[in-house]
Amino acid sequence: MSIVQRNSEVNKWYLPGIIGGLFITGKHLLTNLLNRKKMPTLNYPEEKHEYSPRFKGNHVLTVKKDGSLRCTACMLCATNCPAQCITIVAAEHDDPNVEKYPINYEIDMLRCIFCGFCEEACPVDAIRMGPEWQTPGLSGSTFSYDIQRLAYRPQLKGGIQTYVDDEERHKAGI
Amino acid sequence: MPKCTINGKEIEVKDGTTIMEAMYQHGMRIAHYCYHPSLSIAGVCRLCMVEIEGNPRVQIACNTTVTEGMKINNTSQKVKDAVKWTLDFHLINHPLDCPVCDQAGECGLQDQYMEFGKYDPEMAEKKQKKHKVVDLGPTVVLDSERCILCSRCVRFTKEVSKTNELGIFNRGDRSEIGTYDGQPLNNKYSLNTVDICPVGALTSKDFRFRQRVWYLKEGETLCNGCSTGCSIKTYFNKEGFFRVKPVQNDKVNGYWMCDEGRDLYKFVNREARMLKGQKRSASGWEMMVPGAVAKDAAQVVKTAGQGLALVLTGQYTSEEYDAIINSFKNELKTTKIFHWNNNKETADQFDGLLIRGDKNPNTKGLIQAMQKHGVQTEWNQLIEGLKNGSITTVVVAGPENLMGYADYMEKVKLLSTAKNLIWMQSTKHQILDSLMGQVWLVPMKSYVEKEGTFVNYAGLEQKFKKVTTVVSEALTLTEAASVLSGQQIMVKPDTNVLIEANRSQDKVMMEHKKKNEFIFRRGPL
Repeated sequence: MSIVQRNSEVNKWYLPGIIGGLFITGKHLLTNLLNRKKMPTLNYPEEKHEYSPRFKGNHVLTVKKDGSLRCTACMLCATNCPAQCITIVAAEHDDPNVEKYPINYEIDMLRCIFCGFCEEACPVDAIRMGPEWQTPGLSGSTFSYDIQRLAYRPQLKGGIQTYVDDEERHKAGI
Repeated sequence: MPKCTINGKEIEVKDGTTIMEAMYQHGMRIAHYCYHPSLSIAGVCRLCMVEIEGNPRVQIACNTTVTEGMKINNTSQKVKDAVKWTLDFHLINHPLDCPVCDQAGECGLQDQYMEFGKYDPEMAEKKQKKHKVVDLGPTVVLDSERCILCSRCVRFTKEVSKTNELGIFNRGDRSEIGTYDGQPLNNKYSLNTVDICPVGALTSKDFRFRQRVWYLKEGETLCNGCSTGCSIKTYFNKEGFFRVKPVQNDKVNGYWMCDEGRDLYKFVNREARMLKGQKRSASGWEMMVPGAVAKDAAQVVKTAGQGLALVLTGQYTSEEYDAIINSFKNELKTTKIFHWNNNKETADQFDGLLIRGDKNPNTKGLIQAMQKHGVQTEWNQLIEGLKNGSITTVVVAGPENLMGYADYMEKVKLLSTAKNLIWMQSTKHQILDSLMGQVWLVPMKSYVEKEGTFVNYAGLEQKFKKVTTVVSEALTLTEAASVLSGQQIMVKPDTNVLIEANRSQDKVMMEHKKKNEFIFRRGPL
């Protein structure tokens, strides 16, 4: 970086600089007052910015038609996670067609870097990154999301259904 | 001694060697599923195709013997095409359930597919549906869809365990592995079928869904389940130990191990371990650091004089025996060193394959160490000494694997009649907490946490290395011996808990081929 020193006599004058600065401020004030729709500032709690549908927000675990979790506890998301924030405990399901399911699925949101690798790694569309991004909490423990919060939180209205269906897959001979 | 050329390399092999064996002897790689060095040759997977000069079609390497002047090639395009198509045929009915399959990560199909796969199946028909989650017996679960019918497990029950439980039923693409009616797969070696299964068709009930294999680290050690002393590999991660598998050792166990030995990871984990040292005096139990308990006990041992006795079990290494007998005999001046022989009557039992009646890995080593130091005692002398009060302080190196110790409770009761009891053991047991009188409980290291030598039933000395640390503060018998004899030693608690200490040779290697293209290589299946 080079520092240019302008030590000419003109630059030592005080008023031209001040008036120039005030002129710019006044210009912005006037343009914002005259067309307020173009003003970039949001009145935050009342107004919210709308992100694109691809926005990677808080995770959602999808559910099947019967409301049970789609996740098969294959742990590919946990393996792929660069922040190592996913903890899964797998168990054997009574139904031989399901075989394996998670009895515990936890995401540590404070560790998560929202890269979306879990979503990409998932072979059965069981985890998605949703649109939510405002998640205040009072203590660190509220940021450790369990199955109840990831799949059945009230905002999801009973869970988001996956488009990968076992029955259809079986019919297709996969 | 025929000479042949394999992939341009001239080699000489013994008479009757198959091409497969010749290739393995000279460190060459070849794809295969059904071939296993200690089972008979079936030649059913058709994956080990090689091109032999003068032969119009590719041949299988596992069932073709080498003849003089044979020119063999398994790197040509013709062979690669053959393997590619065979693999595609194997995958016609193979389900896409790698995500829920326990074998994923160490699966033969996955490995070969990465190298030879077609990546573009041309099969239009639907997959054949077969039985899933079939309960074969108390230890093994079968998934018929994943099976590629290599018949390794069938040959295992036929030739090695000689129990003939498994068979292939039905014909064509409906063939399935199964058991006969009312005859579950229930023998003492059943879990070997899981090891030799190249795909995820047979899975172990014990390990099922508990961990993905790529989270596990491995370490080779020796089995301490009985006096056979099989070479084993233990698998663990930060959460503890998860399974045990056999390692090839032609002198002792070949490729196999028994089902009993596969439970040996259980008493190593923290849940089963004595974590803190304890001292019981008139005021009750007091928790202490292991080293501090041993130091505290050393004062009693010092003043015991001729009333001091040492009881040893056959579950420690030869080096540890040497150290503790040496310090008791030379520094504490006592020759009352007794061998707690838990299964004298059954010690010579043998089931014909691996399992022996002596459930201690190092009984021979203990006897050798006692002979070396000229200690000759009878168990009855200890009982008498305890009765007439000539033995007041007993130091016990207790067993870590309590599986073979049916007389454990009885012996604890007997030894607790001594005025001072110093009990050193790695596993916890409720009877130790209910002891009365003056007791010191010293946590010890288990067999995966130390290196040393086990001498097996035949007198074969086998060295093993440390796998990892589970309880960092626990002592080895050598350390305990120095502390008890009054020495000041520095024992640094190992902070690397459950981190690999020694890596085995046949670890999966990742080979960099092109940019962003990796191939995983590993030893023979």
